[in-house]
Amino acid sequence: MSSVTSETTIAPAARGSRGLTLWIGVLVVLMAVGFGAWVYQLKQGLQITNMRDNVIWGLYIITFMFFVGLSAGGLIIASAGRLFDVKQFAPIVRLAVVEATVTIATAAMLIIPDLGRAQRILNLFFHAHWMSPMIWDVTVILIYLVISLVYLWLYTRRDLAVRGSWMALGTKDTSDSARAHDYRLTYILAWIALPAAVLVHSITAWIFGLQISRGFWYSAIMPPLFITSALVSGLSLVIVLAFVVRRTGRISFGDDLGAFLGGLLAVFLAVEAFLILSEVLAGYYPGIPTDAVNQLFSGRYAPGFAVEIVVGLVIPFVLLAVAAWRRRPQVVVVASVLALIGIFVHRANLIVIGLGKDPIALPPGTPLGTPQVSGSSFAVSSVYFPSVWEFLIVLGIVALSALLFTLAVRYLPLREKPSA
Amino acid sequence: MTALSTSYEGIDVADPAVKDATRLGMVVDQDKCIGCWTCAVACKQQQNVGIGLYWLRVLTVGGDAMDVPAGIFPALTMAYQSTNCFHCDNPPCVKACPTQATYKMDNGIVNVDYERCIGCRYCMVACPYDNRVFNWRAPVQEPPADVAVVGETPARPKGAVEKCTFCVQRTTEGLLPRCVVACPTGARIFGDLDDPDSEVSILLRERPSYVVFPERGTEPSLHYLIRTGPNAVGGDL
Repeated sequence: MSSVTSETTIAPAARGSRGLTLWIGVLVVLMAVGFGAWVYQLKQGLQITNMRDNVIWGLYIITFMFFVGLSAGGLIIASAGRLFDVKQFAPIVRLAVVEATVTIATAAMLIIPDLGRAQRILNLFFHAHWMSPMIWDVTVILIYLVISLVYLWLYTRRDLAVRGSWMALGTKDTSDSARAHDYRLTYILAWIALPAAVLVHSITAWIFGLQISRGFWYSAIMPPLFITSALVSGLSLVIVLAFVVRRTGRISFGDDLGAFLGGLLAVFLAVEAFLILSEVLAGYYPGIPTDAVNQLFSGRYAPGFAVEIVVGLVIPFVLLAVAAWRRRPQVVVVASVLALIGIFVHRANLIVIGLGKDPIALPPGTPLGTPQVSGSSFAVSSVYFPSVWEFLIVLGIVALSALLFTLAVRYLPLREKPSA
Repeated sequence: MTALSTSYEGIDVADPAVKDATRLGMVVDQDKCIGCWTCAVACKQQQNVGIGLYWLRVLTVGGDAMDVPAGIFPALTMAYQSTNCFHCDNPPCVKACPTQATYKMDNGIVNVDYERCIGCRYCMVACPYDNRVFNWRAPVQEPPADVAVVGETPARPKGAVEKCTFCVQRTTEGLLPRCVVACPTGARIFGDLDDPDSEVSILLRERPSYVVFPERGTEPSLHYLIRTGPNAVGGDL
């Protein structure tokens, strides 16, 4: 357990409070702008995005996948660490659960602007169609959100009770035996949380991987690939957040933890690279020129794939594989940020390449859905880059996510008490 | 703009067998298709399809662009493939829809409940044929819509997915779909695939035909007759 001896019962607010105010101010402005953009989108329809009938999904779904992955990765780390009794995780396990809770809530919010008729979102519950992977995903995300919240509450309720916070939700007993009891409960919950976290991202993968209409997606490797990219991105975000939060003094751990997590991240990166290699080889080897995998190496999508591999996998792996380098927190953080960028680009590639080429490539092609200022209203393929509105809406939601995280760090006891 | 004429003489062609069909289907004779897009225009009129959206489009087989022949001069071939929803027997869109807004009717039509659709576009992802279109904005009709011929064509809201319904409001009344009636060469033939005596069943028995992407197991209800004329180039996409 943590070597902390002086327990702060009231969170120290004095240090850096001006910076905190400024930070929250920026986030609130971004949220307001994003909300305004979303209202405009509700009024105008999705025509203000750059999605069209040939690239049906865009930045919203890309970011959605990314956040589900961040969440699943965070909770897998936290619950697997508890199940297998990885003592090193202890100082950051609460942080990881906070990260998982906030990011899954963010992912759920990211679906809303993607809907053409968000006002009818409750049809997902009133008229649920259980054959649809999307309904599986809605269900598992909601269950998972509840599990994350319960998990977070179990980890923090005794310390919240010490503070007299309402968030303890009636918990009064702060004795050591009560803490030991909770610690055992977290073990039981870890048994539920770990499979739930694996499932939440597997089902997100099946939304894509079960569609025979999209050759680039229709593959049994999608769930393992999604889980692995979740581990990479989730652990990366936990690492970055851990070092950032440590600067505020709300958690504390030694630099050796950074080295440990960095080593773990290197392993995840290697598995990710292995799965991508398996998938690319299986697509490339038969030599079918129309196969989407061929587009990874030449043409429009090649730069994105190069970023995914070089920036997202090779460079962070090399940085973390050298033991002397990963002992330096700066190196671990830089490698984590690169891995996060790589996984985001990986998600974007998946969507844009998967949808970018029409299954039936005969001219004039697919109707785009809106009249074009110049040229044809049809296309056989398409370039997608998000519009300003899409960026603003996503930024607003990510700002809300950051605000929730900031408040959680500010008001929740994240420091592990020496116990059990 | 003036409203379109309200005289629809000649387009209300009845086929009582259509009313009681159990698996409505279509056969497109590519030997007869001349690529005039009359079916596509008639479809837009009948269903008030907004500008920029097409339930039915006419693809050019083999060429690099629309209306461009395939091959190298003088060995050129020219063929068209008019395409609308295939009303699959194993429709991936129906499986994908999270709200049961798209559903299979007893007569084989894959229909959309526009009021239930939440606009997630998962059905469009699932369709291997790009036959679904989305209202990226509130649909615009020019001239203003006043052309629903039989029954009501439900208005589509902004943000809903739509597609060919085999003119469900006509076929349930025993009328042929508008594109079938409008085709000047009779290239589109409509009927009950379950009825061995229907024209579509006879054509499929007597002439070689194909469906698009049979390997995906969607079992489309729209079949193409393989071209036999001087312009034959096979029959595959």
